[in-house]
Amino acid sequence: MSGLSVSGLTKTYGSHGEIKALDDFSLDFSPDQCTVLLGPSGCGKTTVLRSIAGLITPDAGRITIGDVTVFDGASDTDVPPEKRKLGMVFQSYALWPHMTVADNIAYPLLTGGYSRSEISRKAEAMLEWVGLSGMGGRYAHELSGGQQQRVSLARAMVGNPRAVLFDEPLSNLDARLRERMRMELLSLRQKVPFTSIYVTHDQLEALTLGDRVAVMRAGKIDQVGSPEDVYRRPRTRFTAEFVGIQNLLSGTVRGAIGSEVMVDTVVGTLRTRGWRSDWRMADRCTVAVRATLLTLQNGGNGASGRVVRTAFQGSSSITLVDVGGTEIAVETLAEGRAVPNTEVVVTPSPEAVFALLED
Amino acid sequence: MSNSRRNRARPHKISLATNSLCAISGLRLILGAVAILTILMVSYPVVSVVWRSLSKDDIGSEFTLQWIAALFGSPRSQDAILNTIVYSAGSSALAMVIGVTLAFVSIRTDTPGGRWIGALSLLPMLVPPFILVIGWVAIADPNAGIINILASLIAGSKVTLVDVNGMPGIIWITGLFLAPYAYLLVAAGLANSDTSMEEAARLSGAGRIRLLCTIILPLQRPALLAAGLLVVIMSAGDFIIPATIGLKSRIYLLPSLIWQNSNSFPPRPGLAAAQALLLLTVGLVCIFFQRRALSRGSRFTLLGGKGVSPAPFRLGRLRYPVAALAVLFALGSSLIPVVAVSAMAFMKYWAPNALTWENVTLDNFNYILFAYPQVWPSARHSLILAVLGATISVLLAIALAWYGLRLGGRLAALVEYALVLPLGIPAIALSVGILSTWILVPGGIYGTLCILLLAYVTAHIPIAMQFVSSAFHRINTELEDASRVAGHSWLGTLRRIDVPLMGPALAGCWLLIYVVILREIALVILLYNPSTIVLSVGLMDVWGNGFYPELAVYSLLLLVLGMLPVAAFWKYARFGVS
Repeated sequence: MSGLSVSGLTKTYGSHGEIKALDDFSLDFSPDQCTVLLGPSGCGKTTVLRSIAGLITPDAGRITIGDVTVFDGASDTDVPPEKRKLGMVFQSYALWPHMTVADNIAYPLLTGGYSRSEISRKAEAMLEWVGLSGMGGRYAHELSGGQQQRVSLARAMVGNPRAVLFDEPLSNLDARLRERMRMELLSLRQKVPFTSIYVTHDQLEALTLGDRVAVMRAGKIDQVGSPEDVYRRPRTRFTAEFVGIQNLLSGTVRGAIGSEVMVDTVVGTLRTRGWRSDWRMADRCTVAVRATLLTLQNGGNGASGRVVRTAFQGSSSITLVDVGGTEIAVETLAEGRAVPNTEVVVTPSPEAVFALLED
Repeated sequence: MSNSRRNRARPHKISLATNSLCAISGLRLILGAVAILTILMVSYPVVSVVWRSLSKDDIGSEFTLQWIAALFGSPRSQDAILNTIVYSAGSSALAMVIGVTLAFVSIRTDTPGGRWIGALSLLPMLVPPFILVIGWVAIADPNAGIINILASLIAGSKVTLVDVNGMPGIIWITGLFLAPYAYLLVAAGLANSDTSMEEAARLSGAGRIRLLCTIILPLQRPALLAAGLLVVIMSAGDFIIPATIGLKSRIYLLPSLIWQNSNSFPPRPGLAAAQALLLLTVGLVCIFFQRRALSRGSRFTLLGGKGVSPAPFRLGRLRYPVAALAVLFALGSSLIPVVAVSAMAFMKYWAPNALTWENVTLDNFNYILFAYPQVWPSARHSLILAVLGATISVLLAIALAWYGLRLGGRLAALVEYALVLPLGIPAIALSVGILSTWILVPGGIYGTLCILLLAYVTAHIPIAMQFVSSAFHRINTELEDASRVAGHSWLGTLRRIDVPLMGPALAGCWLLIYVVILREIALVILLYNPSTIVLSVGLMDVWGNGFYPELAVYSLLLLVLGMLPVAAFWKYARFGVS
């Protein structure tokens, strides 16, 4: 499969261009890898996907698939979607109700110049690949949501596309089915790696399925990197909050030891690592402190505070502690719930290195 | 897909526990009685037609099959059946071609002025069919029609390019007349189509033609089927065009024959009933399949996941010629005939050399509006009946729709089924049914305005129900619940919450029924007598005299009376059935 490249994509809506869906967006998508575009509604991730598909025409920029330029605002190049050789899995699956499952899957092959027997052979092979052998004669409304999802994927892959686009494919499923489909998608990709671009607002999906994650905000990329990078070392407050980091503490730079920066915060001096290298003494900064990397004790060294409230979450509990006027969230294993209004001590985990944010 | 199903408002039944037992039982009783009466009202004409066609004289007399035999045996009857088949097939096909093309062009292509084309395509519904007839006579009459006059001028000698008389002529006019109805159903289907289906096809490699033929059109199958069946019913049962130009050209069709058999001398009401029975059967079969197609269609037109509007179908260089053609067709059944008729109204006489300044006169207006004795009494009758008929239909529909949606029960479901009946019964056949029953009741409503009112309500209650039901469906039941919790009874809620929220839909429904009643001829042609003449029947009288300019004025009067309330209230009204 090929890689894709998108540069300088801009798209505005509104009579005076007030709504900036995409703002000079650029990203390279590596071949045979899954790149996830993660962000809240309105951040532009779907606009990027649909621009790559050819369903939206951007105002400016360049889109290259493999070595073919399919869109170039400068030279007015705009290859229509039917000629871009891509596959797409839609949020609503978009299975044609007037055709059988087999006909649905075979459809992309109709324009490929194959013989009738070759087409049915390939469609059958695809059905087997997604685990739906023998269901070719059924209609879409006779299948469950998960099965329709798999037919959709089979159809997207059957024509040997250069890449497969996923538009929030799991949002229509309930939580348990979503989890199962996530693992299935992962196993399918590990069997046969293919280039994919996956759009979602769910951070769990992004972290599980992506080889690379690009967090988007207001038409631009906030941070791009491996799932571990984005999760453990977010760059900005936006990304930190989006991947679920509960505490964003302000602090003062104290010094540096090697690549780590020591920062004073209400919960003590923290070891941090960030992306900037120009920190100076006494600079004000923000540290992203994950609630699981803090501990609660009844006494001892550390920041003392008062328990505000506790929420039981099944495998863990979240406790809100008032430390010097700031509410800190601490996540602990569920044995023994902290009692509100008692005094506790909050300490960072001994080996933890926290993320130092850029903004 | 599960999301869209969950979000649709579902009919919500009122539980007895939250109301005093007495109030609800009393309500059920009253509404139940209304429901039963309505069911009787729409079904007895069917029974009546069947019975009368099997009776020697009036209903209740000796059983006979002679009328059924004559239906298929009499040469005039056979002739009429054949003609009706050809006529119906031809005009339905033409109406579908025009309507579907206009719908596709205006809703799905990048043709300039798409929305205007859409509005223009619906305009003909406001034009009385009579104007369509007279207008096209003015345009395409072999002697004095504008097209032929122009062609003769160009050719130098008399040339008959087109002839509105004859089967092609009446097929053409009826096709134009029915196209907006086909347009409505298909446009609704196209507007509700799931974008992602087409996007998926495009990404799977389908070019424009393949996309149109394998995805867009097949997905519209339910709407296309529903539209096709509707225009078949309407063309088979159409009365005005066959009874005017058809008879003039000596083309006999079933509806005009039914009229002749009922009215002329010697009257053969039994044969008329048998012919009505045939039309009725065809109509009911069609409507059965049409309802099925519409209900199955919901599977095909699920709304897309993100509500993205479909990308326009690119026509390229064809955009402008297509737009021009579309506008021409749309105007051809609305503005062009109206202009032609208006021109005719000012002529002293209508003949090949009529387009001169000396021929202009206001005499026709003078005569029809001030001297013709029938005009104002018939206008008065028409207005009273139209206003009453529309009001009663809407009120009845509100009561029955509310009964069905909020109280539920088997009787309410039966009402829903029963109300499909009048849709499939051509007006002239319904007329025969009503006549055959009420003629038996001495001192009854036969010969009064009441029987006309009854006929109007019977024929139009289904349309009213469709409008009102879908308006009710659109109201989130929580709005009503909030009113009940706040202390208002069901009646107060209906008055304060439902009716105001449905206001625009009710207004639209009322206006539509008003307009249709005003120009309805077939329903009343068998039921009127000299003291209860309505405008449309008077029109048939004037047609009989054959003096076109007077005819033109009379039909313009009909148009204006119909348009006045529409022009006054259309801003407040909402025309649409979801």
